[in-house]
Amino acid sequence: RHVRQRLRRSGGLARPLAPPTDNCPNGSSRPSHDSVEWEGRSLLKALIKKSALCGEQVHILGCEVSEEEFREGFDSNINSRLVYHDLFRDPLNWSETGETLPGGPLEALRALCRRTHPGPVTIALDSLSWLLLHLPCTTLCQTLHTLSHQDSCRGDSSPGEQVHVLGLLHEELHGPGPLGVLSSLAQTEVTLSGALGQASAHILYRRPQQRPTHQTQWFSILPDFSLELQGGPPLEPQPYPDPRVPSMDPTTHLTFNLRLSKKEREAKDSLTLPFQFSSEKQQALLCPGLGQATSHIFYEPDAYDDLDQEDPDDDLDV
Amino acid sequence: MAAAATCGTGTRSTGSMVVSASRNSVTSFQRRGPRASGTDSGCSRLVSIAGTRPSVRNGQLLVSTGLPALDQLLGGGLAVGTVLLIEEDKYNIYSPLLFKYFLAEGIVTGHTLLVASAKEDPADILQELPAPLLDDNCKKECDEDIYNHKTESNIKMKIAWRYQLLPKMEARPVSSSRFGHYYDVSKRIPQELIEASKWHGFFLPEKISSTLNLEPCSLNHSYIKLLQFIQNIIYEEGFDGSNPQKKQKNILRIGIQNLGSPLWGDDICWTENCDSNHSLTKFLYMLRGLLRSSLSACIITVPTHLIQNKAIIARVTNLSDTVVGLESFIGSEKETNPFYKDYHGLIHIRQIPQLNNLIYDVSDVKDLAFKLKRKLFTIEISRT
Repeated sequence: RHVRQRLRRSGGLARPLAPPTDNCPNGSSRPSHDSVEWEGRSLLKALIKKSALCGEQVHILGCEVSEEEFREGFDSNINSRLVYHDLFRDPLNWSETGETLPGGPLEALRALCRRTHPGPVTIALDSLSWLLLHLPCTTLCQTLHTLSHQDSCRGDSSPGEQVHVLGLLHEELHGPGPLGVLSSLAQTEVTLSGALGQASAHILYRRPQQRPTHQTQWFSILPDFSLELQGGPPLEPQPYPDPRVPSMDPTTHLTFNLRLSKKEREAKDSLTLPFQFSSEKQQALLCPGLGQATSHIFYEPDAYDDLDQEDPDDDLDV
Repeated sequence: MAAAATCGTGTRSTGSMVVSASRNSVTSFQRRGPRASGTDSGCSRLVSIAGTRPSVRNGQLLVSTGLPALDQLLGGGLAVGTVLLIEEDKYNIYSPLLFKYFLAEGIVTGHTLLVASAKEDPADILQELPAPLLDDNCKKECDEDIYNHKTESNIKMKIAWRYQLLPKMEARPVSSSRFGHYYDVSKRIPQELIEASKWHGFFLPEKISSTLNLEPCSLNHSYIKLLQFIQNIIYEEGFDGSNPQKKQKNILRIGIQNLGSPLWGDDICWTENCDSNHSLTKFLYMLRGLLRSSLSACIITVPTHLIQNKAIIARVTNLSDTVVGLESFIGSEKETNPFYKDYHGLIHIRQIPQLNNLIYDVSDVKDLAFKLKRKLFTIEISRT
């Protein structure tokens, strides 16, 4: 169900991890035993099958495997819905028979951008890695962006008219630069890994202007390319216990006291601050003469005081 | 006796009055008063453009960035003729917000906008600007906030009794000020404000034809087109003083989104050593030249976390005037750190320009954190 929902959004990117790494969510390190490559093509085909069953038109740009191999495993119902653009057999158009697409992969992508067929469509790029190796990166990014946003050029885009672009990327072929750029362009990113023969997909979903959400889903793909979602692999006794991450408590090791004992708190509450407004003070202000002596100033002039009873300003000639 | 002499009638007394009058005005210098026709630019000593104010330090003309907290950190605002560079956070959630605040401030103060993007249509960007908090709405919002705050805090404060009589100082946004407005992020700007404003959009996929043959050039084609576009707007609308303007002077606010990403045709995010290593730096240099000679201010967001070559990041920082970096906690270990649990990320003021000045107005506080509340983007000193 979760994977179905991912299909509803445009721009998905699936990339398999060739050496199974310790990509497990619980944080314990596990020695890697498996040597099976967690390949993503079967997941791609499973997603394509789902799209086709939903009635969407599916275009496939096949670059890495032949058409027969790609169509293998799909039944005829689905195969009839797939429109396959073959770039594997003759990528440089040497045979010039007219069967292959002229202009190479770039022209094929641009033709997909310009399609005018109404209705939702899914475009699967069999391998983005292949395209990255054959096309300049900026052109590819711009074309991908146009592909996934072509419906916004038209007037109103109802949700059914969305274009879903699925791309397969082999992570180990590229450096951190291309991976970072493509993941920033994509709306959903699925990283494949697994453990104990069970494949898992780490899905990162970036919504515009909102925090990205991620989850890990264990799954398996049946021979007819249906997707089966599962819970985790059967638990085994772990060789190492999980290292406990101590939570940082900022109130430890302080040089001052942050807490008050009960007695201290009572003393603090009963203390009257000098400028605190209390009823006594209010009374004192309102009725100054009641029971209190008014203040006087008593001044005893000293021998050294120079007191003059006259007005000192008389000397001035004003 | 002197009074009796002046009371006399006849020409002789009139003559004496004239003589006395001329004796009073000893000097022939006369104070030039303000003329009735205020359109002469020569007599108005201060250029008073809406939405600007002179800096208190050096008199530099400043515009607001849309966030009064950020204005304060930058020393009063963004100087006219300079570039504000925002280093994007990893998932590009908060930097578009600062971008939109800048543009929204331009609409509210009546400045002309120029929005350039390779990813989104500028018209769509303008639709998503936050709504300004004006006088009547603002009081309602603030009372709501203050009420929520009061019910949360249960610490009683004992204050000196004389202060209880004074009216409480609240951080209520003063929306009647002409510099720096507050915005509500959860609402969209009203359509009539956008229609009343003047804006120009540059959407790269429309301007660049896809069948362009990629000849190697020292400067990226997209950047050349963008610079030409900006230059045309500045010249045609007279922001550089080229047309003797009869009308009121105005500021051009330029916003460029995601500069340096591959959608602009630049591959500095792709590899460390690429052919167009210098495109972005040259673009910034030329842009700054355009800005310095015109009444404009520019905000640029750059995905520096994707740029592979650290030297380019350093050059880009040096070529901009004000640089603010956003670091969000999503996905990093700081997300679970109890020190940072109240905030969504850190904001780093990496550079402030020294314009006609020997020192700059650097704030003392270096630990600044931001938080995106439902309606407001706040910047606070992180309490660590």
